[in-house]
Amino acid sequence: MKGLSVLLQKEWREHIRNYKVLWIPIVFIVFGILEPVTNHFLPEIMKSVGNLPEGADFTWPEFKGEEIFVSLLGQYQLIGVLVIILAFMGTISGERKNGTATLLYVRPVSFRYYFLSKWIVVNGIVLGSVWLGFMAAWYYIDALYNHVNALPVLGFIATYSIWLIFVVTVVLALSAWLPTGGAAGLAILVTLVYQVIDSLIGAYWSVSPWKLSMYASYWFNPDSELSDLWMSLCLTVILIAILVLFGIFMSRRNAAKTTV
Amino acid sequence: MKFMAELANIPWNLILPIIVLQLILMTIALIDVIRHQRTNGPFIMWIFIIVFVNLIGPILYFVFGRRQV
Amino acid sequence: MTTLLQASDLTRKYGDSIAVDAVSFELEEHTATALIGPNGAGKTTTLSMLAGLVSPSQGAIRFSDNEKKDIRSIIGFLPQYPKFFPWLSALEFTEMAARLSGVDTRQAIRDAKNTLEFVGLGDAMNKKTGTFSGGMKQRLGLAQAIVHKPKLLLLDEPVSALDPVGRRQVMDLLKELQQETTILYSTHILNDAEEMTDQLLFLRQGKLVEQGSLNEVRARYAEPRIIIEFESLQELQRFTKATEWKVTSKGLIASIDVQTEGVDISSILSVLCTGLFMVRKVERQTASLEEIFMKVAVI
Repeated sequence: MKGLSVLLQKEWREHIRNYKVLWIPIVFIVFGILEPVTNHFLPEIMKSVGNLPEGADFTWPEFKGEEIFVSLLGQYQLIGVLVIILAFMGTISGERKNGTATLLYVRPVSFRYYFLSKWIVVNGIVLGSVWLGFMAAWYYIDALYNHVNALPVLGFIATYSIWLIFVVTVVLALSAWLPTGGAAGLAILVTLVYQVIDSLIGAYWSVSPWKLSMYASYWFNPDSELSDLWMSLCLTVILIAILVLFGIFMSRRNAAKTTV
Repeated sequence: MKFMAELANIPWNLILPIIVLQLILMTIALIDVIRHQRTNGPFIMWIFIIVFVNLIGPILYFVFGRRQV
Repeated sequence: MTTLLQASDLTRKYGDSIAVDAVSFELEEHTATALIGPNGAGKTTTLSMLAGLVSPSQGAIRFSDNEKKDIRSIIGFLPQYPKFFPWLSALEFTEMAARLSGVDTRQAIRDAKNTLEFVGLGDAMNKKTGTFSGGMKQRLGLAQAIVHKPKLLLLDEPVSALDPVGRRQVMDLLKELQQETTILYSTHILNDAEEMTDQLLFLRQGKLVEQGSLNEVRARYAEPRIIIEFESLQELQRFTKATEWKVTSKGLIASIDVQTEGVDISSILSVLCTGLFMVRKVERQTASLEEIFMKVAVI
């Protein structure tokens, strides 16, 4: 356990000093605020800026707070996931390429701790950012729309958090396996592109990590049947565990590829 | 006058946090870029991107422009 | 003398090419061994295998101290171009290195400070490593390799990136370290190898082509000769006519092979004295390591 705490400290220091601990939460919070605010003021903005023809009466849909949560999740699904991939694609491959990993690998450090230290800190930053983002959104939703009960909101964010842990694990496992460019490309394919495929042809199955972002919104609908959600959560947790093992195995196997 | 009235109508208390956060993001990126002066691509270009491309600019810098010394 | 490490039949292949080919050697405790050879001879690969970075395709590395589970805790490794996390200070990095090797936290901070003082980075220990010059990085590399007091120190070209002053200082540090630890280092600067070595290992194209102590290797390749420098060309010519030995001359210097001609200093001196030759210098010479290197390395 001692090696793990040293490595955790190293990872934490790294992300403080490269400002990731600062800028990633800010990005998520800004989007969290922007979503309710722009949706709320869009009609007014359009009225004053866009010179609508006289008599053109546009009816803007009245959003409910719950819907704002869901549309914010949609933003995070694209921009947030992209930020996660790009910010952390080089977590392991980068250390290998620039040779800084060498002086770690020659020490009696287990690759289990090496991978886990990164996994824990990156997940901490990502989940912290997303929760802060949703909390900020929640505050604005309460102020601008309607009150949303705590329980569904927590279920919603928690479900989405499992999906994001899955994304982080994919990115880190690929970074352990491939060079940075390949890791990023494949991570985009696995998380974002496959997401579209799953939604297009995925009608035939209902248990899938890629459906978690959709299932998360079920928490806002009391009539929802949650069994698919729970099954998908279980499957995702199992996949995360497998990916962690794969990542540990790959960081050990590729240790010799580090620049000496 | 109409413009001023509209300006007063804007709910600043709601907008302000976004502006402040964006400014913080921009400031961190600027401090970092000026202190290191080492970027992928021209240094001056990144300053312009950080200052003038709203929100996305600093993110682009941190993801693509920033180079570990 | 006790053996610290035994490498037998060590081989590493990369695809079809063989980087290290069936190399066997032993390292005695508290000795310094120089790993010599031209570029691409397999020096770095050999060190990487011993450091546990690269696993051998064949062969075995046995440590006498096998009570330790992870052998890497008794090894210190300095790569040829050590790379550090630029956002850590020298002290933070060295402390982390010590702690990762099992030194407890408080001790690690003390050891890190002392080690950095020892390698001459006392004033720079709180600076970020990203601002370090090449020489400072080399010193920090040495510091991280010795901070946990390893039994075996593996150094890949420890001084070749340094200027003459830095090289002198680091060589002195290494000689000091030799009292407490076992050193295996690669170098292509043969003066350094001559200065600090109990054992020489010559690598060529992955094979161990020569090994032994400096004196043993010298004896094998030395071709000792006696050099006489005369006052004038006439004296030299008078000398060559007066003796039956085969003399090769160059300028004012005559050189006689000790082994083929069966001479020694005293027999030469008696000739020189009886003939009243005007001489500036008489000297017995052996081949320098560089000459040996050229013979061994260039086939």
